[in-house]
Amino acid sequence: MSILSYNGGCVLAMKGKGCVAIASDRRFGVQTSTLAMDFQRIFEMGPHLYVGLPGLATDTLTVHERLRFRLNLYELRESRKIKPQTFSAMVSNLLYERRFGPYFVEPVIAGLDPVTWEPFISAMDLIGCPNVPEDFVVAGTCAEQLFGMCEALWEPNLEPDSLFETISQALMNAFDRDAISGWGGIVHVIEKDKVTTRLLKTRMD
Amino acid sequence: MASERYSFSLTTFSPSGKLVQIEYALAAVAAGAASVGIKAANGVVLATEKKHRSILYEEHSVHKIEMITPKIGMVYSGMGPDYRLLVRQARKMAQQYWVTYQEQIPTAQLVQRVATLMQEYTQSGGVRPFGVSLLMCGWDEGRPYLFQCDPSGAYFAWKATAMGKNYINGKTFLEKRYNEDLELDDAVHTAILTLKEGFEGGMTEDNVEIGICNEQGFRRLSPAEVKDYLANIA
Amino acid sequence: MALFELCGIHSRSNFKTTEDDHFNGEMDSLNIIGNPTQLALPPLGCPNNKNLVDEHGREMKINYDHGTTTLGFKYQGGIVLAVDSRATGGQYIGSGSVKKIIEINDFLLGTMAGGAADCTYWERVLSKQCRLYELRNKERISVAAASKLLVNMVYNYKGMGLSMGVMIAGWDKKGPGLYYVDNDGTRTPGQVFSVGSGSLYAYGVLDSGYRHDLEDEEAYELGRRAIYHATYRDASSGGIIRVYHIKSTGWVKISEQDCTELHYQYEEAERGSK
Repeated sequence: MSILSYNGGCVLAMKGKGCVAIASDRRFGVQTSTLAMDFQRIFEMGPHLYVGLPGLATDTLTVHERLRFRLNLYELRESRKIKPQTFSAMVSNLLYERRFGPYFVEPVIAGLDPVTWEPFISAMDLIGCPNVPEDFVVAGTCAEQLFGMCEALWEPNLEPDSLFETISQALMNAFDRDAISGWGGIVHVIEKDKVTTRLLKTRMD
Repeated sequence: MASERYSFSLTTFSPSGKLVQIEYALAAVAAGAASVGIKAANGVVLATEKKHRSILYEEHSVHKIEMITPKIGMVYSGMGPDYRLLVRQARKMAQQYWVTYQEQIPTAQLVQRVATLMQEYTQSGGVRPFGVSLLMCGWDEGRPYLFQCDPSGAYFAWKATAMGKNYINGKTFLEKRYNEDLELDDAVHTAILTLKEGFEGGMTEDNVEIGICNEQGFRRLSPAEVKDYLANIA
Repeated sequence: MALFELCGIHSRSNFKTTEDDHFNGEMDSLNIIGNPTQLALPPLGCPNNKNLVDEHGREMKINYDHGTTTLGFKYQGGIVLAVDSRATGGQYIGSGSVKKIIEINDFLLGTMAGGAADCTYWERVLSKQCRLYELRNKERISVAAASKLLVNMVYNYKGMGLSMGVMIAGWDKKGPGLYYVDNDGTRTPGQVFSVGSGSLYAYGVLDSGYRHDLEDEEAYELGRRAIYHATYRDASSGGIIRVYHIKSTGWVKISEQDCTELHYQYEEAERGSK
């Protein structure tokens, strides 16, 4: 089993009309043993900026802290909020710095531009190759299943409510076909003037 | 003399708390050719005098105004060779920023970093401070910026300012002429007039260099354009 | 050896022919119908206790159904069997509704853990043999004999990669019978068994709640709860929880419930009790 799937878990993000959503499961396990069902792998990096770090749990925590460190320095030095694009480049750099001894996380970034409110999503592999598509990004142990669900359910210009429904269905049906993801879900829908966070009631097996 | 004891190659505090090497550096700036910067509503202008000691000099091969990024330009008063090093470092810093953030460096950030470099040269061993003051202009997030950066590492944001020879007169002139909603064209005129205050001899497109920065980015005016502006003044 | 004759197990030597003959190959595949306990051997030969290797000598990993939780226990009212229904290939959930209790006949049940194909195939062969026994002897086979038939068959393939951990449970002249059989050739009778990746979790619940004098309903609920807790903690167990009861009149299916339904039911009950 790959070290990326040692603890299990998955994250996905989707673009909507003037909004973005990011969602993940809540399981933390060691191989097939489920140890916690309230694990956080999506982090708030700003009022309209979230990052999901599926992969090896210890690296999820480390990478989150290192990103926080760099982001805090950036925002102090520049006295302004970071743009999601810029943050994405920052994450990519952090990962590539460890090209030959990588952090085992595959980040997913979702946010709105702090000036134009333009939706932004991106994802990258564990050494920071960025992928910035127009529709959705997925990562984690059930990435294939998530791709399938997203291809089937996503459509352009979804309003926040429909985006929530779409991303939740995609998430739940994908991780129900994965043994080491699931055990609860969390969804953040990011809009210009509010962020809605919901916990999903899911299968617990 | 007492001051000589603290004015060798090291930058060392004098008992009165001064760093005289820095003051000497500022003196080198004040003795240098004049340069002017003015912010307008829709852009910024940099202008400088280019002295030629001989008529044999080939005028348009070496420039004083340089582009650092597509939206940032720079000019100096003081020592040319020191300036070249700063231009090189500034360009490198801008590229480094671009590599890390995939975004053009904001003018304020570049100024801060160049100023940090200049400060290092006031505190490191075996070096002397730079003999230049810089004017940096840029355009980001829909508005113009103008900064001055001194050998000490101090930097200032200006609406309009002058440096180099006769800078006191230049500044007084600007204080009288400046107003907030100047158009870029008018700012170019004002800059030329400011330079003219202390100009020795006639102003031509060969001995004046002008750079402008607006939403389209930074560019140095061609001799023909400078000539047109000069013609409008006379 | 009598059982050997009964099963029709001959020596394996005539199975793999040295001649490279297409017709012989065809005969090989027909052999499985004539004698289901003889399977084609790998063409390259299979060294004992080694998995299949590729042309570079690297081990070839075959990902088939593995994770499971099954349990069975004897009590005053007979035997309760309870199983989950998840089939995984690696971390992929291939099915959430597998039947892991195999109905061998009206008085015999087998559970399934390990390789799904191995378990279903050999328990099917077992059910055939049990039926033949019944026809020949005009009486039902004992649980002891049935489990021994199975263990003898799998013992012939010891070290060749079969993967199964099964319980054979039933009711015969001697009363309830419960045996554990696996691919190592283990066969052991017992009171309480749990088999599969989730068995440790199931044992935790089972051992703390088990008494011989459980009432029927208590026994069903104990089995159900043990499997539920295993599905909760073990990633490769889940889906539907099936409970069977074996008594003197044969086996009865007690319940088939989705473990999500159980989860929220138990959660509700716990909230109510606080």
